[in-house]
Amino acid sequence: MMKIMSGNEAVALAVKFSRVGVVGIYPITPQTTIIEELAEMRARGEIDTDIVRVESEHSAMGVTLGAAVAGTRAFTATSSQGLLYMHEMIWWTAGSRAPVVMVVATRAVGAPWNIWNENTDFMSERDSGWIMSFASSPQEALDLTLQAFRISEDPRVFVPMMVGMDGFILSHTKTNVYVPSQEDVDQFIPPRRQPYVIDPETQESMGNIFQPVHYMKLRQSINDAIQGSIDVIKEVGREYEKVNPLSDYKTLNVQYKLEDADYAIVTMGAWSLDAMEAIDKLREKGVKVGLYRIRYIRPWAEQEIRRSLEDKRAILVFDRATSLGRAGPLYLEMKATLQSPMKGVIAGLGGVSMSKKDFYEVISNFIEEVKFGNPNKVEWYYPGEVKYVELGTPRSAY
Amino acid sequence: MSSLSFEYQFFPVSHPAEGAGGKTGNWRVVKPIVSERCIACNACFLWCPEGTIQVRGKRAEVNYEYCKGCGVCANVCPVKAISMVSET
Repeated sequence: MMKIMSGNEAVALAVKFSRVGVVGIYPITPQTTIIEELAEMRARGEIDTDIVRVESEHSAMGVTLGAAVAGTRAFTATSSQGLLYMHEMIWWTAGSRAPVVMVVATRAVGAPWNIWNENTDFMSERDSGWIMSFASSPQEALDLTLQAFRISEDPRVFVPMMVGMDGFILSHTKTNVYVPSQEDVDQFIPPRRQPYVIDPETQESMGNIFQPVHYMKLRQSINDAIQGSIDVIKEVGREYEKVNPLSDYKTLNVQYKLEDADYAIVTMGAWSLDAMEAIDKLREKGVKVGLYRIRYIRPWAEQEIRRSLEDKRAILVFDRATSLGRAGPLYLEMKATLQSPMKGVIAGLGGVSMSKKDFYEVISNFIEEVKFGNPNKVEWYYPGEVKYVELGTPRSAY
Repeated sequence: MSSLSFEYQFFPVSHPAEGAGGKTGNWRVVKPIVSERCIACNACFLWCPEGTIQVRGKRAEVNYEYCKGCGVCANVCPVKAISMVSET
């Protein structure tokens, strides 16, 4: 059944379908409507989830982790400053290997205050030990949230999972979303499984002090579980077609007109669809260019990316995040995977809008550079007529 | 890297047990020896600061890996069943 809804409503529906037991909530723009929607569902009596109101994001993750190790399905959602405030508990959740699902509506990080979209906050959690996926449409946000419960509770994985989506661009934009039926989802998501349950009867405890060797073994175990989850993700994606027959989750990442392409564009997130339109326009002019969309950044599907992109002449990587002082995180990951000539473009930070026309311009310039110059560099791109933004800092007269 | 089954995974779960941190080194000078006069009254178990002495059956038993040789048990024993013997 198709319905018109925003990304946040889609995520709240996915949480409702997966019969979550406890939600730790703390509002922050642009994620607020997820928990508002859940609270309204609770008020209408559609769900019997325990909604715990806490005093900070740190506590929200703490509530979620506590509920998860006590043996119930747990969920939380957050955004930029909140994600950074959560940072400590994110590492605790990953280290305790409790299956937890979190949705991150990405947003720029201060200072200065900025509530528009940017992926830096999400990308800054890459090292923490979560499985991390990134949606490109409200439909995908719903699908990935449903799959996240299944993946993180798989006995071969048992690692928490994060689903990212672009704040405002996905979270507040209403489009068509295929809503599955409750019976299909119940068949798709089995009852809760977890590695251990904290119970006064069993005398087990979690997260006490470990000897150095045991700690290192645990870290390696988490690493192997995340790398091994590639097979699990593909399995779950094939099985998800019973829930949503329109979907295609056979591979971790998505290709678009890439088989016969000379040049490849690598993107992540919502603006991939704008890039696809620009690529259609370039194809009409006879330029052989294709798009490769990263859907999972952890686990990093190295072999899949190599097979798809190693025969391309040059690669252009679009980043909506920065690792300040170096380059974009996605560019660095691609650089570590492939040997081909590669250009990184950092654009769209702090909500700067990238349209189809801007993508067309950047890709055309890149192809010119490959033909007549050296493409190996990182460029900061400002769309529109203002190519060089001059910053005026007010100073007192002294 | 193929995925691992559940048996080969590793989790941060711990059970209460004797820790490696409290083990006595080789510096102990005297150790308690329990003789046959023991009446299993549990006074030594109550007073031992390290919790290393326990009544098993009719006799108190000392866990020498953790015993620090402080002599409290020998002092509180009502029938003087415990004697401190030099180890050096």
